[in-house]
Amino acid sequence: MTEDTRRSVYELVQMLSSFNETRRAIIMALAHVYPKSVSGVQLSRLIGYSGKSRSLYRGVLAYLQDDKLIHIDELTPKLYAIRINSEHPLLGVLIGLCKEYGTEARAIYAKAMEEQ
Amino acid sequence: MDALLRHAQALYKDRQRIALAAVIICFSAAFYVFYGPPIQYALGEDPVWTIISSGWSQGTVVVFGYSTVGFLLALSVVVFIYAFWSWAFLPSPATLYTMAVLRGIYGSKTQITQRIGKRFRVHLERDAYVDFECRIRGRGSEDWFIYRVTTSAITAPNLEAIALRHGFSVSDGRLITWMSNDELHSRTLLLAKALILAGT
Repeated sequence: MTEDTRRSVYELVQMLSSFNETRRAIIMALAHVYPKSVSGVQLSRLIGYSGKSRSLYRGVLAYLQDDKLIHIDELTPKLYAIRINSEHPLLGVLIGLCKEYGTEARAIYAKAMEEQ
Repeated sequence: MDALLRHAQALYKDRQRIALAAVIICFSAAFYVFYGPPIQYALGEDPVWTIISSGWSQGTVVVFGYSTVGFLLALSVVVFIYAFWSWAFLPSPATLYTMAVLRGIYGSKTQITQRIGKRFRVHLERDAYVDFECRIRGRGSEDWFIYRVTTSAITAPNLEAIALRHGFSVSDGRLITWMSNDELHSRTLLLAKALILAGT
């Protein structure tokens, strides 16, 4: 592992541990399902959120978008596509790690998204 | 959620109940003052319009008279006072919590001023500062207390990279972000580190 990657991994761990549970869960889920994007309802299922997905949009998702951690694309006024920002310097590292070692976890996330 | 914040939450709900009670009391008092017995002297004997009955025209005079203006004015004063109260002041346990967290990171010697509008300013070296503006989201929301964090303008060549690597964003040369109450300590710590890297 090069010096630069080690530093990035350190900063990634530090950044993730500074977030609260909801933010962490969202970022981990989105990093695993990358490059797919998810809808609000799918996301609330992925992170085990019991509230309405509307309150996710008004709160934590808007803040994550402000900090350039995720992208929210409006497909129709009621349907949004949420995906992780792969150009973010630290999240790029996380996506790489998930791609390399996260096959099983990705299967679990994919299964959770399929179920109706 | 911290015990202090839970206390602050209860106080905030109490504040809303007090405000509702005050509105009801003021409504009754203002109604009595403006539409009470003296109003019949204000009404003329002759109806204004002859086409409709005198009861209707007298009622119209009352609704569009000075009494209604006074009544609405009295109510809007109450609403304005409540709006100002909730804009300006944080319940004191929440203030205590915020100050304790900020002191825990910036040390007891750093000057932290508290300003009206639920704002806290941490004064750093060389005129640099960090502003924390607290907002209360209230019922139906995951996070009750949200902080809008803004730093003073920073001139560092790699500011954007530093910000992104600590989970913040940049606007007008300032680091900005939103923190929920349970992130306040951990993310302020990262903000302090980012500011050291940016050379302030």
